[in-house]
Amino acid sequence: MKKVMTKILLLCLSLIMVAGCFVACGEDDAEGANEIVIGLSGPLTGDAAVYGVAVRNAAQMAVDEINAAGGLNGINFKLIATDDQHDASKVATNYASMVDKGMQVSLGCVTSNPCLEFAALSKDDNIFFLTPSASANDVVLEDNAYQMCFADGNQGSVAADYVNGLGLEKIGIFYKSDDPYSQGIYEQFKAGLSTSIATVEAVFTDANTTDFTTQIETLKECSFIFMPIYYTPASLFMTQAKGKVADNATYYGCDGFDGIESAEGFDIAAIPQKISMLSHFNSKATEGKAGEFITKYNEKYGKETLNQFGASAYDCVYAIYGAMKAAIEDGETITAETSASDICEILKKQFNGGYSYSGNTGDNIKWQSNGYVDKTAIAYVIKDVNA
Amino acid sequence: MDFLVTLINGLSSGGTYAIIALGYTMVYGIAKMLNFAHGDIIMVGGYAMYVTLMAMGHPVIAVCAAAVFCMILGIVIEKVAYKPLRGASPLAVLITAIGVSFLLQSLAQIIFGSSPKMPLKLQISGAVTIGAMRIDYSTILTLAVTVIIMVALSVFVKYSKTGRAMVAVSEDRDAALLMGINTNRIITITFAIGSVLAAVAGYLMLCKAPSLSNTLGSMPGIKAFTAAVIGGIGSIPGAMVGGLLLGVVECISYSIPALAPFTDAVEFSILIIVLLVKPSGILGKMRREKV
Amino acid sequence: MSKKTVGLGRFQLKYHLNYIIIAVAAIVFAVMSLTGNIKHSDTVLLEKIAIAIMLATSLGMVVGFLGELSLGHAGFMCVGAYLGGKTAALLEPVLGNGILTLLIAVVVGGLAAAVFGMIIGLPALRLRGDYLAIVTLAFGEIMRSMVMNVPSTLFGGTLGLQTPRYDKKYLFIIAFAFVLIALAVIQNLLRSKHGRAITSIRDNEIAARASGINVTKYKLVVFTISSLFAGIAGVLYSYTQSRVQSANFDYNYSIEILVMVVLGGIGSINGSIIAATLVTYLNVKLQTILTGDLAVLQNLFYAIILIIIVIYNNAPALKHFREKYNFKALTARLLKKRSAKAEPAAPETDGKEEA
Repeated sequence: MKKVMTKILLLCLSLIMVAGCFVACGEDDAEGANEIVIGLSGPLTGDAAVYGVAVRNAAQMAVDEINAAGGLNGINFKLIATDDQHDASKVATNYASMVDKGMQVSLGCVTSNPCLEFAALSKDDNIFFLTPSASANDVVLEDNAYQMCFADGNQGSVAADYVNGLGLEKIGIFYKSDDPYSQGIYEQFKAGLSTSIATVEAVFTDANTTDFTTQIETLKECSFIFMPIYYTPASLFMTQAKGKVADNATYYGCDGFDGIESAEGFDIAAIPQKISMLSHFNSKATEGKAGEFITKYNEKYGKETLNQFGASAYDCVYAIYGAMKAAIEDGETITAETSASDICEILKKQFNGGYSYSGNTGDNIKWQSNGYVDKTAIAYVIKDVNA
Repeated sequence: MDFLVTLINGLSSGGTYAIIALGYTMVYGIAKMLNFAHGDIIMVGGYAMYVTLMAMGHPVIAVCAAAVFCMILGIVIEKVAYKPLRGASPLAVLITAIGVSFLLQSLAQIIFGSSPKMPLKLQISGAVTIGAMRIDYSTILTLAVTVIIMVALSVFVKYSKTGRAMVAVSEDRDAALLMGINTNRIITITFAIGSVLAAVAGYLMLCKAPSLSNTLGSMPGIKAFTAAVIGGIGSIPGAMVGGLLLGVVECISYSIPALAPFTDAVEFSILIIVLLVKPSGILGKMRREKV
Repeated sequence: MSKKTVGLGRFQLKYHLNYIIIAVAAIVFAVMSLTGNIKHSDTVLLEKIAIAIMLATSLGMVVGFLGELSLGHAGFMCVGAYLGGKTAALLEPVLGNGILTLLIAVVVGGLAAAVFGMIIGLPALRLRGDYLAIVTLAFGEIMRSMVMNVPSTLFGGTLGLQTPRYDKKYLFIIAFAFVLIALAVIQNLLRSKHGRAITSIRDNEIAARASGINVTKYKLVVFTISSLFAGIAGVLYSYTQSRVQSANFDYNYSIEILVMVVLGGIGSINGSIIAATLVTYLNVKLQTILTGDLAVLQNLFYAIILIIIVIYNNAPALKHFREKYNFKALTARLLKKRSAKAEPAAPETDGKEEA
């Protein structure tokens, strides 16, 4: 009997301990600090870490700058960046912990799949978010959600229009079949592509992200290859395709190509083909807002992690800051104590009411009331065919 | 002709799988454990090459340095993480191996950051043209290295004293111990060889596709494990056959547009089909169980 | 159900203690939730813990009692999550997002997973040990690849399948109710004569066959029941998410479940429950505490803790040390000192191997 009693006692003890942890962990809320808390969930570790780290760094940089310049009429911003490892099942935990830490406004998630989860959760609590880079169309289904990047479907149609105008007979498409960004652009692109253009398609998946021998073999006859993928696999494809794909061919990508010329170790000058893209940010810029941002970012974090994700995140923080400022000028009050839901309503009014922002990724950026961004996509020729 | 090129490319990527699978199979045969951290040794080898390349600048030195580094790492891991568990449940060892895998991956990210490195100096570009076929130098190199390793390993196991001791340990560890074989030493040597093979595989992967991140080895590791089982785990020629088969199937599947997105499913289905027909793998030995 | 047995004395109590503790814990948290005293993040944690317990106990049946290694448990969960989630999504416009829809989804998802479990159990009759492990791993990966690549109108493609969510306040209570059901089924099966037949297959299959045990039947039964509960866990998971995404069900997830089973001690249901709780808790806490620059340390800590615990728990050389510093000895000393500070993780799993 004694043994059983001891056991019950022990189990109760551990139960109390667990309960104790629940209570104890609840006490780390930021109280009394004069801050507006911005939440962010992104892949800070794992396969997609290169995007998450860039967003986190750039957002932190923007927050630090705003705070150094006196904040929002004396109220500082505070960024909480949590790690979701590009895994949607980790988002609920991140979201809840950020809500507990007083998140009032958010940058959503960095990548599309987790962001869909984030969108559903933030709708429940009516928390405003402006995502720098989660580009799936469905991310902004709800009215509290806005994008800084172009939505995938729109990019696909714009790219199709562009290609239809080139008068080609046959094009190659290289995309990643298990990535919603790539798949999303691909679907809209195919839908918008003129039926007179023949296509040769090659795909890769998460399980094979480095060796593209077979895919290059499939695409080597094409003189124009559309690649709605991110720059890391793209740079690898180009490196491996040297000498196989015709030297005067064109690689055409979307905003995922941004940063390709600064990808570490990638020797873009050695690629004979032409590389161009349709994007909102030019990471080669040396002047204007983008140039300024690039210099500052490189100084602080090194150019290794610089890409359009970061540029977009930097803009997101400033766009939110700007909208808050504009709202205050319109007579609204925003303090460190304003609830997330109230801030959401205030910001929604601004974003739907013609608020415009100029930054790294475009001038006079506006938002449609369905959350999509309105800005001009610029066709950049990253490099031309080598003479 | 296109099919022939696909076939050769398949054999080449299969060669890489085969070399990784050899590491799995040898460790499994001798230590009776699934070394889940084997794939990550490839990744460490890749980073070792990258670092020496930065310091010394020559690919050959880099590969040698990586091989030595991986060998030492393999031995250290075996001594620190696996040896204390000798005699414990195989599942416990499996979990430690998984722990080691996480550890190596996160250390690599802490040290080298999150963005992939491109050690372009390791890349071998260019190709030979035979008729209408173009075959990459890297493909030829991979095939050659695979064959050399295969032959060398077979000779080593069959004719050297240590190699024969390895066979003895894999057949029956206790009996081998009774015959005066230092089983601990043999296990350490096996890990050392397996790790060197991983470094070589790492080089073969990087000479085709120079991209290095901390998850470089995870998926090839799993695929190679699958290959080892297809060929019959514990069997050296089996690892070879399994690896090549898997590589060829993968390349053929990628070259058929309708099938391409399902490539992973196709590869793993091959495994299930082979095992249903021959439960011990293509070249695996069926051990009769005794009561 | 528990009241009667408590009255019968110590022997019965011992065997039903785990139900009581889980039920009491669930009721305590349910009351906290209904009165609004629980934080949002804690309900998320509780859902995760309930799902983890279901997965760990059901996998524990295969690994710990039947003695077969399965690395594809997440694959069965994937089947349950997608088919159950699809059912729920189809029923939602008709029946609304209520308990009835959830129950139907659970039945459909669970049964579908059970059917797959039976199919995978078939090769298990021919394959042993690590060969079976890789087949289950392959199964999980095949499932994942299939649901993602079939036309997106069916299962949502790369963006995942949209499924209804349940009110966070109540979902974990429902999940714990299912944990109790799973526990009752698994525990009663394993403690019956069938359970002894199953463990005899683990200990020596040939001897079991020779003593007239229908090995085929028992292997299939264990695989089917185990995947049934994995499927149910999948359906519950689909209710915690706005979309079910196939990327979650990769082999790493199967391995995480296996880690819980092994840490809890092979062949110990209570061990699996405790380890599932602690591993989930540890992961969530690492994830929420290590943010920003520190996020990179999560896996490092997890890996180091994992290696140390496994070596501590299993190394033959540490046997004496373990006997001296195990859970019982430690708590006995703690009770003397009346100090509330303890390290529950390592020793707790060690002392609970008799279930």
